[in-house]
Amino acid sequence: MMSAKMILRTTLSRQAIRRSLAAALVAATAIVALPAAAANLTVARSVDADSLDPQKTGTTQSLQITNLIFDTLLTMDKDGSVHPGLADKWTVSDDGKTYAFTIRDGVKCHDGSNFDAAAVKFNVDRAVDPATVNPNASAWGPVSGTTVDGNVVTVKLSEPYGPFTSFLTNIQSSLVCPSSVSGAEFKPIGTGPFKFVGWTRNDSIQLEANGEYKNVNPLIQNPGKPYIDKLTLKVIPEAVARMAALRSGEVDMAEPSLEEAGDLKSDAGFKVYAADLSGQQMVAAFTWKIKPLDNPDIRKAIGMAMNRDAYANIAFEGLVGTGNCPVAPNLFATDEALCASWGVKYDPEAAKALMVKAGYGPDHLLKVKLLVHKLPGWDQMHQIMQQDLAAIGVDAEIETREVAAFFDYMKGVNEKTDGEPAVWTMGMSGVDPDYLYFLWKRPGFVNMGLNADLDAMLEQQRQLSGDARAAKIHDIEKYLMENAYAIPLLSPGWGWLMASSAKIDGFKMGYMVSLLFNDVKVAE
Amino acid sequence: MIRLIAKRLTAAFATVLAVILLSGVLVHVVPGDPVTAMMAQSVTATPEAMDEMRSRLGLDLPVWMQVGRYALNALSGDLGTTIRGNEPVVRLLLERLPNTFMLAVAGLGIALLLGIPLGFVAAVNRGTAADAAVMIVAVLGVSIPGFWLGLVLIQVFSLHLRWLPVAGTDFRNLILPALTLGLTYCALVARMTRSALVEILAEDYIRTARARGLREHQVLIVHALRPALISIVTVVGLVFAYLMGGQVIVENVFSWNGIGRLAVQAMLQRDYPMIQGFIVIFATSVVVVSMSLDILYGFLDPRMRQR
Repeated sequence: MMSAKMILRTTLSRQAIRRSLAAALVAATAIVALPAAAANLTVARSVDADSLDPQKTGTTQSLQITNLIFDTLLTMDKDGSVHPGLADKWTVSDDGKTYAFTIRDGVKCHDGSNFDAAAVKFNVDRAVDPATVNPNASAWGPVSGTTVDGNVVTVKLSEPYGPFTSFLTNIQSSLVCPSSVSGAEFKPIGTGPFKFVGWTRNDSIQLEANGEYKNVNPLIQNPGKPYIDKLTLKVIPEAVARMAALRSGEVDMAEPSLEEAGDLKSDAGFKVYAADLSGQQMVAAFTWKIKPLDNPDIRKAIGMAMNRDAYANIAFEGLVGTGNCPVAPNLFATDEALCASWGVKYDPEAAKALMVKAGYGPDHLLKVKLLVHKLPGWDQMHQIMQQDLAAIGVDAEIETREVAAFFDYMKGVNEKTDGEPAVWTMGMSGVDPDYLYFLWKRPGFVNMGLNADLDAMLEQQRQLSGDARAAKIHDIEKYLMENAYAIPLLSPGWGWLMASSAKIDGFKMGYMVSLLFNDVKVAE
Repeated sequence: MIRLIAKRLTAAFATVLAVILLSGVLVHVVPGDPVTAMMAQSVTATPEAMDEMRSRLGLDLPVWMQVGRYALNALSGDLGTTIRGNEPVVRLLLERLPNTFMLAVAGLGIALLLGIPLGFVAAVNRGTAADAAVMIVAVLGVSIPGFWLGLVLIQVFSLHLRWLPVAGTDFRNLILPALTLGLTYCALVARMTRSALVEILAEDYIRTARARGLREHQVLIVHALRPALISIVTVVGLVFAYLMGGQVIVENVFSWNGIGRLAVQAMLQRDYPMIQGFIVIFATSVVVVSMSLDILYGFLDPRMRQR
């Protein structure tokens, strides 16, 4: 069928009655309402996926794609509440160790096979099997067995695991159709809004809309098939080239650099999207085992010197906000007002007074390292932070490392009990405050674990659910903040931004920086 | 002659082996490993889980054992599978090698087409304004980073004129990166052509040729340029080998899907098998090219065979 645009174009080439006929045609199309031309969307990202098997990859760039092809058992709304996904409904036993999920009827895989309770069992078994080498395996929790009865799949846990349902909304828990792994090589066959078409590594991934799709994710309005027909995700590693492609119209959307995002925001021809629901939170932490940072007053003073508003508005061009809790806003039990009441507030004068009390001042500077890793925005934030600290008599020397090297290095630093004291920064993400457990329970992420008291609280929150669990999480946050082990900084944490031309409408970023294209419409 | 070839082959083999061993050790010395690189983005792995993954990937073995094992496999043609994505390294490299080859040939072609005439003009007009102009261009060409030049070309031809696409790996996408490489290396070629020609133009046989009353263009092109080209070939060969190692920066700027980009990504991810696979290919291509040149000279110049 000839599209309206094509008819228009042929007409225009005839010179004589060009204008009037074109106008008539436009009017005619409006009345007849010809089906819209196939809408294609091209998105440029900086890094390619490394695998399309959601049970074999943990990187955001991979999971952003797998989340388009596969669905999750449950979904999460803006307030952190859990909603149905591939499972219609679910029950939890009183001891918190048995979950029964009723799988939605009539869910079809992209290859036409049925997606049923047995498929879910297959996924859970595969996800936690050590042979799979799943980088997300530990987040599945203490799964001890699965059984299927009709359209109900039952998952048994060896002990209660409060964050289990939250995790089942996470893009790390995406479920594949068993036919994906029937051959020697993994074939991305799922139930999600887009079907896999092709992948040229490091170049592009091609997807097409799943005509059968039925959406239940509360973050998405479109109940059925995505409005766009074809979706291409290109890799353009160089930021300047990515922006050139966006500006020239070669791509419809692109990941902007932080500086470019600032420019695009004030340009009516473009839109900028920040990953508000990323579940990411940046914090500053301390080598609290090393003197004098074992003194909570000094940690507090350093926290009080940090002008978080300046970091958000200057270093991050106003694209991120301040976050008051050690976990990101929007997640379960996260109460920004409560956290604000526990944490230190920006007050350089009071900070100076605390430093003087501890024996430091203009004549006796406290020398610390500021250990950081390289990321856009962060670099500038650390420079401002350095000045903030200088203002209260803390002489901070910035040491920047590349990401992989940084965390390896911090593992050693956090083990030390003497040597040069250090302040360091990090970001983390998740869909549930349970990531506090991964970070702070000894030995903890890069050996940042604290002590037996906190370990116990972290274990307890996993055993609880509902309000009781929320209260326990508040206790943990309060403990971390009142003792100034963690200084919450900003959220979302890092450079996950997206930009589009103004003709793109309806794009959203979901939890874990997922890209939601279901509602996207491309204006002519 | 056969002895020369045998000697060169042995040396080439030893070089590649040495590169594999040395690079293997160096890669492991760099701080951070594939597992931390993978886990750095989100906190989902406990230290125990990370250790388990290390042992599954064989990363808990001593470095000498990992490197030795790799070298043995590599010599039997098995470069292993990537840590990210678990794909055969050889396949990933072979898929991209044609792209890198195409870009290297196109870039070198432009460099020669521009560089040789420029160097020729400069040598013939030695000491004049034309010579100075060419040499200034050559210095600029060598000094301008390919990264910057590439971005300028994108700004002009893709963004303002909209003649050519920014990113991708097909024929239209070849023009800008090839031009970037060509402009950068034409400077080198021009300088080499000039110095080789200047040397030859001072030779007795050129004076003889002129004395015999040959036309000037005959003297220049037949008697001077041809022998000069032989010495240019050496450097061109090595430049080509270098280009085959992947024009890492240019491939990145233009999103050209070659082995250079594969290598950059692998390094950031500490994907050891992929990094080492790239090094093997790079080292092999340099060694093969220089070995071929040596052998070629053996044919061209009998004096070389004695060395």
